[in-house]
Amino acid sequence: MLALLAALAVACFLLVTGLSRAYQDQRQSLGSRWFSRGEADLNAGRYDAAVTDFRASLLYSRENYAYQLNLAEALIGIKHLGEASAYLLNLWDRQPDDGLVNLELARIAVQQGKNDQAIRYYHDAVYAVWPRDQEFQRRTARLELIELLLRLNQAADAQSELIALEANAGDNPELQTQIGDFFARAGDFDHALAAYNTALRADKHNQAALAGAGQSAFNLQRYSLAQHDLQAALALNPKDTQSAERLKTAELVLQMDPYRRQISALDRNRLVMQAFATAGQRLQACSTPASALPLPATANADLNKDWAALKPRITARDLLRDPDLMDSAMNLVFRIERSTAGSCGTPSGPDLALLLISKLHEGNS
Amino acid sequence: MATQSDSSPQIASLNEVPPPPGWMHSRELWRAFFREDRFFLVLSVFIGVFSGLAVVCFRYAIDWSRLYLLGTGVVLTPTRVLLAPTLAGLVIAVLVIHFFPRARGSGVNQTKAALYIYNGYIPFRTAIGKFITAALAIGSGHSLGPEDPSLQIGACLASALGRRMRLSRERMRLIAPVGAAAGLAAAFNAPISAVLFVIEEVIGRWTAGILGSVVLSAVSGVVVMRWFLGSEPLFRIPAVELRRPSELIAYAILGVVGGLASVVFAGGIAALRPRCKALPRWTQYFQPAIAGLLIGIIAMLGAPQVMGAGYEYIDQAMHGQFTWEFLAILAGLKILATLLSFVSGTPGGMFAPTLFIGAMLGAAVGGAEHYLLPHLTISPGTYALVGMGVLFAGFLRVPMTSVEVSGNYSIIVPVIVANTFAYVISRGLQPLAIFDLLTRQDGLDLPSMEEQREEDILHVEDAMQPVQGPVLDAGLSLDQALRTLDHSEIEHLLVRMRPNSWGVVTKEQVQQAAAAGNTSANVGSLLSEQTVPYLHPDLPLEVALRYVDRWPLIPVVSRANFGQLEGVISQADVLRRYREFGEG
Repeated sequence: MLALLAALAVACFLLVTGLSRAYQDQRQSLGSRWFSRGEADLNAGRYDAAVTDFRASLLYSRENYAYQLNLAEALIGIKHLGEASAYLLNLWDRQPDDGLVNLELARIAVQQGKNDQAIRYYHDAVYAVWPRDQEFQRRTARLELIELLLRLNQAADAQSELIALEANAGDNPELQTQIGDFFARAGDFDHALAAYNTALRADKHNQAALAGAGQSAFNLQRYSLAQHDLQAALALNPKDTQSAERLKTAELVLQMDPYRRQISALDRNRLVMQAFATAGQRLQACSTPASALPLPATANADLNKDWAALKPRITARDLLRDPDLMDSAMNLVFRIERSTAGSCGTPSGPDLALLLISKLHEGNS
Repeated sequence: MATQSDSSPQIASLNEVPPPPGWMHSRELWRAFFREDRFFLVLSVFIGVFSGLAVVCFRYAIDWSRLYLLGTGVVLTPTRVLLAPTLAGLVIAVLVIHFFPRARGSGVNQTKAALYIYNGYIPFRTAIGKFITAALAIGSGHSLGPEDPSLQIGACLASALGRRMRLSRERMRLIAPVGAAAGLAAAFNAPISAVLFVIEEVIGRWTAGILGSVVLSAVSGVVVMRWFLGSEPLFRIPAVELRRPSELIAYAILGVVGGLASVVFAGGIAALRPRCKALPRWTQYFQPAIAGLLIGIIAMLGAPQVMGAGYEYIDQAMHGQFTWEFLAILAGLKILATLLSFVSGTPGGMFAPTLFIGAMLGAAVGGAEHYLLPHLTISPGTYALVGMGVLFAGFLRVPMTSVEVSGNYSIIVPVIVANTFAYVISRGLQPLAIFDLLTRQDGLDLPSMEEQREEDILHVEDAMQPVQGPVLDAGLSLDQALRTLDHSEIEHLLVRMRPNSWGVVTKEQVQQAAAAGNTSANVGSLLSEQTVPYLHPDLPLEVALRYVDRWPLIPVVSRANFGQLEGVISQADVLRRYREFGEG
């Protein structure tokens, strides 16, 4: 009897297996059909329709990886982040080294303000397996990670990611420019300049790279180079106001610096006298009660006293006669510009140039 | 308990053919091995396999019905939404009235009736009828679920197999629940829940013999189901985290709301089902169709989620796809739709709708609480998960079954808190559990498992009396005993024997022995060889009934020290206590 039962069970099992095949085939076909529709809708940006299509496809294959992933992407499209996240976490459990899943989870975490989670998922995405365009996808994930780190003021972490990125970036001018921008935002102008220069070697008419190189050189106090690059950038795009402003300041620095080489004594003295007068005007402007943040009384009194004491001696004749007088005058100029910059707001024009000259010769003084 | 005498007829029939020489020894071994209780265990595995296969086919049938009746997408066309459940309702009514009258309803009570009334007999035709009509009903969008029909199909198959195997009446009675467990386990993909449900709700008692069979069949059923349909849970479980114990208050509120919703749901069935049954017979042809039409209208007006079992929408509710206001509306509409389907006599189960209502209600309460108290960190998905358990506790009154269905044991504390509130409220406002209510409405008087669980049981301590008169030591001489008894009016006396046994003598026995001049003998010499059994105070009083007719006095001793006498009990004490209990 048991043997008969066993035989009957086997027969039923085979019968249901046949039925199951027909059932699964039909479901697979229906699932694929709805999935194709969903993909078309997703590619066309019709996220609502795509969500409906992918939901229908999942009716027929609930655990299908691609269906769930695409539904998650469509859900992100219609800002249903919670549900998208649930699908993605389910996929992550199944395949934690899937690059796209990690990247999408990171993006959702960023939107939800879960920055630590986002950084972890971005890292996983960078080192994950990507079925297609692995280098490109990893680079995209890393660029997003860098963007996040910079936004969170984690410059050191961002720099290490940038260095790793730069090593694999090749000489793609757009990418190198982007890397340069990120380095600049991280405050690493040496690497930024190098990245811009790499971009310019591949495309010397890349305006963004020229502007970036000019700005980086400016920040590195290499004003001649900055002048050269910014002029080239403005030639390509005269409407670039930021570069124009920086160029003007760089030119002023170069013109007003009395310590620069290959300059006659007369010209040097003239520059010292000009700087002394400019600093005096700045001091007076900042001392008036009308100024936004007047200097503190004691500092103001000291600087005014020093300036007034030195002023009679700042003449062409005295400067020629006493070589040390130039240093005394410029030291006072630098002191005035720094004090006023700290208390009276960011200077502009000649005052800014003098402030930058002071920084340029900080070590010497 | 099975005995050698009630071994199966199949094995008995082997004796009719003379065995070839040399086979005798192995035949005896074979026979000894396949006593009926062991054979029953093996049969349970087959029952599980067949039930699992039937449930798989049932699932296919529901899906095919849905595909051909409602379409392949998630967005349903108005024509199909209106016509499919209406026309299916007409067909179902004809089938139920003319061909499968026992297929009506959920199937749980029919299985219970098979156990208690029909000696395990369920016609095989019922399985066929249930399979066809329930698949048609659920697939066409009636608000019913596949679990209870699966349970009944499993029970029918088991009953048919048991009859074929010509099992003893005792085994036949138990075979329907064994099949029911397999069917339910396969439908729920949750063997533990199925075993708990069948033991607690259908069989009503835990015995090693039946537990083994139920577990084996449930596990076999689930294995077969997973072989064909995969092992994924019914819905994706959201991450559950209870950050602060104070959040349990929020779950308690959910329990209260769930309890009230359960009362409304059960009250609706209690009020409407008898009225529908009382309508003229010809209306029964149209009741499922009208229910289907009304459900179609609800779906067309913007809530297609109420159609069918609705597991995919439970999944979406858990992952925050709906606003809390819409979730509350869905819970209300699902109660209405399920009431319509169920009271119209459409075959189908209530487990899935209960889960649906619980999930929607839970997520709605969670959403509302989050709206009012934004600092609460719990997600609506967690509430939905707990909500399902709440409705199981409040409506079906099976609080433990929900935990495994939810697939998440980390949620157990909130589930217990919410379930307790729901159960207490539901029991307070609707004393009759839903399955008992349906039984009474069908004119049957099956034992109520809930009542049995809640029933006051009398114990020995409730009837025992303090020891009156002296307790004699077996070593005491008759002379000394006689002197002790001079001042006592008690007729029966307890005798303590070493180390921990007892005897009973009468005063008259001692006096007669003394009168015979045997005063130097001791009391122990008067005792019969059979010692008096002793009882413990916590034993059920019915245990005392086994002994009180043979001994006039039974000692009641402490469990910690058998020599310490707590009291005595006699037949008169037991009968008096039962009489008092009966008089309330």
